[in-house]
Amino acid sequence: MKKAIILLGCPESPSQTPLAIYATQKLTGIGYQVTVASTPSAKKLLEVSDPKEHYVQNKTDIESCLDGLEEGDYDFLLGFVAKDAAVSYFVTFYHILNTQSLALVFHRDQEKLEHFENAVRESTQADITSARAYHNPTPLRVRLDRALDKLIDPEPNKQDKKDNVDEPEKNPKLDEQEDS
Amino acid sequence: MFCLETYLRESEDYEIHMTRSGFKDCARFIENNAPEVVHVKPGEKIVGARIIGVPPVPIGINDEKGTIMLPYTKPCYGSATVEIPVPVEEREKIRAVGID
Repeated sequence: MKKAIILLGCPESPSQTPLAIYATQKLTGIGYQVTVASTPSAKKLLEVSDPKEHYVQNKTDIESCLDGLEEGDYDFLLGFVAKDAAVSYFVTFYHILNTQSLALVFHRDQEKLEHFENAVRESTQADITSARAYHNPTPLRVRLDRALDKLIDPEPNKQDKKDNVDEPEKNPKLDEQEDS
Repeated sequence: MFCLETYLRESEDYEIHMTRSGFKDCARFIENNAPEVVHVKPGEKIVGARIIGVPPVPIGINDEKGTIMLPYTKPCYGSATVEIPVPVEEREKIRAVGID
């Protein structure tokens, strides 16, 4: 079975925990054994959100995980990037694992969002999907779905391409300022 | 074997030059202030801990003071620049894994 690791950052953003659970069930659904690496506080949020471990079965501490991490341990890296430190962690995990990777970049501030996106782009060959998000996880969920669809089928057939041709890369509605 | 995490917990003999900063600011501080700078890959084990950052990660070496200066990142607190005394053999190990 293929193995995926989801790397969580500081749990300051309310979107992170629900999206971590969502991403875990998506990746599990496409055949990955998923491990979530996080800080102790992000782990506690997951434990309270999913007390019977219906979705997230494997949780590990980010520091001890990093300490023992080796190339080949995972087939896919999904990193939540919402802070400068999260860029550093994602890039570090990426360079150790040297595997297919996706950075899910999000922030409420457009300037910071672009800064984090550029920092990941300059330091890795990872796929990047991003959205302005804080309280509302929907913009990120939509983009995560699209990115994971590409993971399942990197070359969709011509008909699908034609169907998607009019779809803008950025959905203006999703980029609207969210309510606090 | 020298261990950075244990050392920072148990000793007071270290200097924090920057705290709660961005990685790039910490890297710039090291580049501008260390007498010798060795660049390493992110994830390289330096003084017993994986170095976290964006490549190339600078490690400052000061043989006169017997110290190294390195970025130290935590998920919720950002990056700090820490200067710690380390034995000469640890400084040699850092030079050996340099990518310059």
